[in-house]
Amino acid sequence: MASRSWLQGKTVKKGGAVGSNGHTRPTTPQVQSTSTTIFGGGVKDPSGRTAEYFSMDDQCPVCKSDRYLNPKLRLLVSSCYHKMCESCIDRLFTLGPAPCPICNTVLRKLAFTPQTFEDLGVEKEVAIRRRIAKEFNKRREDFNDLRSFNDYLEQVEDIAFNLINDIDVPETEKRIAVYKAANAALITLNLQREEAYALALKEQEEFERHEREQRAAELLREEETERAEKEKERQEIIDKLETSEKDAAKLIAKSRANTLKRSSNRVSSMSRLGLGVDYAKMLKTRSKTASTVLDVPHVPFQDNWYSFEDMYVLKPGGYDDLYSETVRKDREGIMRGGGYRVEEAWERALRFAVAGLDLLPLEGLDPTSEGIQIEPSLVGGDIVLAS
Amino acid sequence: MDAVERANVERQKRWVKDQKVGEGTYAVVYRGREASTGRKVAIKKIKVGQFKDGLDMSAVREVKYLRELKHQNVIELLDVFSSKTNLNLVLEFLDSDLEMIIKDRSLVFLPADIKSWMAMTFRGLEFCHRNFVLHRDLKPNNLLIASDGQLKIADFGLARDFADPGYKMTCQVITRWYRPPELLFGCRYYGTAVDIWSVGCIFAELMLRTPYLAGESDMDQLKTIFRALGTPTEQDWPGHTKLPDYITVGQFPKTPLRDLFTAASPDALNLLSKCLIYEPRRRISAKDALHHQYFFAQPHPSYPSKLPKCATQLATAQPLEEVDANVDMESTVAGGKGGPIKARPKRKLNSPYDDSKSRSIARRLDFTQPIPGS
Repeated sequence: MASRSWLQGKTVKKGGAVGSNGHTRPTTPQVQSTSTTIFGGGVKDPSGRTAEYFSMDDQCPVCKSDRYLNPKLRLLVSSCYHKMCESCIDRLFTLGPAPCPICNTVLRKLAFTPQTFEDLGVEKEVAIRRRIAKEFNKRREDFNDLRSFNDYLEQVEDIAFNLINDIDVPETEKRIAVYKAANAALITLNLQREEAYALALKEQEEFERHEREQRAAELLREEETERAEKEKERQEIIDKLETSEKDAAKLIAKSRANTLKRSSNRVSSMSRLGLGVDYAKMLKTRSKTASTVLDVPHVPFQDNWYSFEDMYVLKPGGYDDLYSETVRKDREGIMRGGGYRVEEAWERALRFAVAGLDLLPLEGLDPTSEGIQIEPSLVGGDIVLAS
Repeated sequence: MDAVERANVERQKRWVKDQKVGEGTYAVVYRGREASTGRKVAIKKIKVGQFKDGLDMSAVREVKYLRELKHQNVIELLDVFSSKTNLNLVLEFLDSDLEMIIKDRSLVFLPADIKSWMAMTFRGLEFCHRNFVLHRDLKPNNLLIASDGQLKIADFGLARDFADPGYKMTCQVITRWYRPPELLFGCRYYGTAVDIWSVGCIFAELMLRTPYLAGESDMDQLKTIFRALGTPTEQDWPGHTKLPDYITVGQFPKTPLRDLFTAASPDALNLLSKCLIYEPRRRISAKDALHHQYFFAQPHPSYPSKLPKCATQLATAQPLEEVDANVDMESTVAGGKGGPIKARPKRKLNSPYDDSKSRSIARRLDFTQPIPGS
């Protein structure tokens, strides 16, 4: 990490812990910024505020004062990426440009920015990449083929890498200047394009939000009218029951039917409004295509595996073999909890014993009769022939 | 040349490799065809050289079980041959999978479509279980769809046969979102019920169009399950507190499935609840599921050829060039302009169709090979 030498002398923290997050507060307090930024440090969040890095372990590398001595301690980062506290900055740079106490680069008071990232390496990389991206903003469309675009990207990455790691800085700066001069028109064009894109994006968002709001308002209004209607209808029923001499049940049923009609009208007008109209249409086309071939009722199996009766059944009490002993012992224990079935193992053993022979399982075999010799111990008690 | 080698060469001649369609950790998949008939196949070339201790376990498993299983709803292994030091599996060519179909928002599922897919899944699974094979990695991504709409269970890389009594099995199987609670509790003796849980999750995903129980870690998975289905009691699931990695993750009340699946028929919910029973022994078997009322009720399951299909299929994947040019400057700038506008639904990282993955591959390719057509 020789190239990172500019970081040296920066982190002198209590207890020697470098970069410990232990005391970092979960919520960063928003400190009012006193110095303006001129070289783009400090990353802004979507609302435009700058989130500042804050830690209870902060200590100014220049005056060694820390948060215990100075609770209002605020560290800012210089353009050479060294931290120091606000009082040091005031002390050193109020009278005009002065050398940085750590690396001797000449600095101005304005060249300090708030810190966003704990690691100043990241801080530097972000600032550099942001700067590079502003100038090297060519797109795929600006190249004839993919190869040259990739070469260009490679070159940009090269420059960024050099700047980040302080390799050949003057030469790299020269390269950037040359590029800038050669592509000035294209750069501004692409900048405009990007702005236009951002604007379009914002407009679209705005439009969507507007639409959502409208929809919500519509729904609210629907609800309101529905409630009003209900109220009105109840009143109607009561009035009618009071005045007319017809059968009460009939009256109620009639008004119910009316309500139903009205509410269905409302639903159809709602779907016209655009609430899932797409899905309704897609569903309609789906069901239209679906009706060309007839669906057949479900058939559980498409082979005849289960149409044969098994010629054996498992012995009701289970088997007393050596392997399954562990399982049988632990009837309520972990094997039961996990869903292991020893019956399946037995069934597999039986099936494999007879299926491989290409014989129907134990067909016509009587253990007492002559013919194929089967281990008497196997047939004798353990396999129960189906009758 | 001895007889074995001669036989191998003969087999190799039967198949023609065309272009590469995908790459996994232990295999490269090519599109190919049968030399005599022109039938499309997929050729999976297993990289043997990379592994110090011989052939990758999942390749062995895949060959071992697919050799034995031949069913309409299980992917067919047509042939196996070796070329140089590689092992090649010749598989049926299938152009899409259920995950692509679920994610394709332009498709609408009818209840009959879901019924049809479920019936095919259960049929394929029942066939595996009937032959005492546990699949152990069921997820939409591994249910492939043939061009005629038939669903086929694929990827037997984690399969194993039903264990003899007293043999331990590993609990580190099945993609997390589809993993049953007994495996999350570290159970080493389990049975066919683990696959049924996965199918239940897939069933729910087909209805919701989004993964049902998506936990972020193994612990979170348990919590997600319990939050959805309630924390099991000793009565619900006898013996679960004695499982090796048993842990309490908090008490959650049972909520009826109806609250989430508002549009599902009662039969569908009944089958779903039976697939997601906590006690593995009481969970429905594939055979019983196929006889469930849900499948016989109206509407009848859709005929496979009528099922919705993906427009963008595996074969017509994006050309590499286009993917590559997406590497834009914005992505390197922290806090710059917002990235792509469209929010993609989150998916697990091991999905082969994940953007980030295909991009990294394309990028790597670009620097080693001349670009066709430029």
